Amino acid sequence: MSGNGNGREGSGDQGQALSGGCLCGGVRFLLAERPDEVVNCHCGQCRRFHGHIGAYITVPRDTVIFDADETLTWYRSSDFAERGFCGRCGSSLFWKGDGKSEIEIAAGSLDQPTGLQTLRHGYVEGKADYYEITDGLEQFPGSAEVE
Amino acid sequence: MAGTSTVVTEQGGEEDRVWTGGCLCGGVRYAIDVRPEPISFCHCAQCRRQHSHVGAYTGAPRAALRLLNDATLTWYASSSRARRGFCACCGAGLFWEALDQDPADGEPRITVTVGSLDDATGLRVERHIFVDHKGAYYDIGDDGVERRTSTGEVVA
Repeated sequence: MSGNGNGREGSGDQGQALSGGCLCGGVRFLLAERPDEVVNCHCGQCRRFHGHIGAYITVPRDTVIFDADETLTWYRSSDFAERGFCGRCGSSLFWKGDGKSEIEIAAGSLDQPTGLQTLRHGYVEGKADYYEITDGLEQFPGSAEVE
Repeated sequence: MAGTSTVVTEQGGEEDRVWTGGCLCGGVRYAIDVRPEPISFCHCAQCRRQHSHVGAYTGAPRAALRLLNDATLTWYASSSRARRGFCACCGAGLFWEALDQDPADGEPRITVTVGSLDDATGLRVERHIFVDHKGAYYDIGDDGVERRTSTGEVVA
């Protein structure tokens, strides 16, 4: 814990290292770097994979340190990406684009609290009919990546 | 009623509608022969881990769910009283089923992730549950939907 007193939940600048894993513990990881934000994804693939919308952080792949990965399973979800999940408990964990130096990690897999905040919605063109986006955050029809 | 929309009412002649769904890879496909229940968004820690965000569930009598393909369907006992069903090939989360259902309480139910349904669902959201267990990294938003805690108390 940073204990610096100004690390309000959601400020995103705490020094606390993030860790995470799946429901059964077959996959556990540490993050050597803190991401800046959480971005929601409303695409149809995330909806099937997660059973609802996706919520992701993005970090350099080489900053993810696995303590356990015995049940980590990869599925080639498109011709340019794979999705990682736990083959024992079914937790939906990662999105990895071919050739990218970063990996996207689903925010709910992180040990709470994270000190992170959700900032944007991406791929809202793919949103399903059963919910509305009502949190007032910025929405993008496609990718919500910002430079 | 919140969520009133243009969906055909239960009295409006949708007897022929079947709700279909499945996982990403097609290893699990299902059909539900009755109108699925209104949706609950679940903010509990188990849903957060397994779905890696909010759980979104509808439900139906177990007898109304027909598995058209279950080649890759795998069950995980997520507690002593429930199991979660997912696709072992693509990892998609599909079902939550209580193991201790008493026949005296009525016909057995199964709950189904709404995101696994094929569009358009025509379903409406009824409530948020386990809001006291919500992750701090997101806000529910001003959606006007009822909110319940883990003890069932209505808080909004």
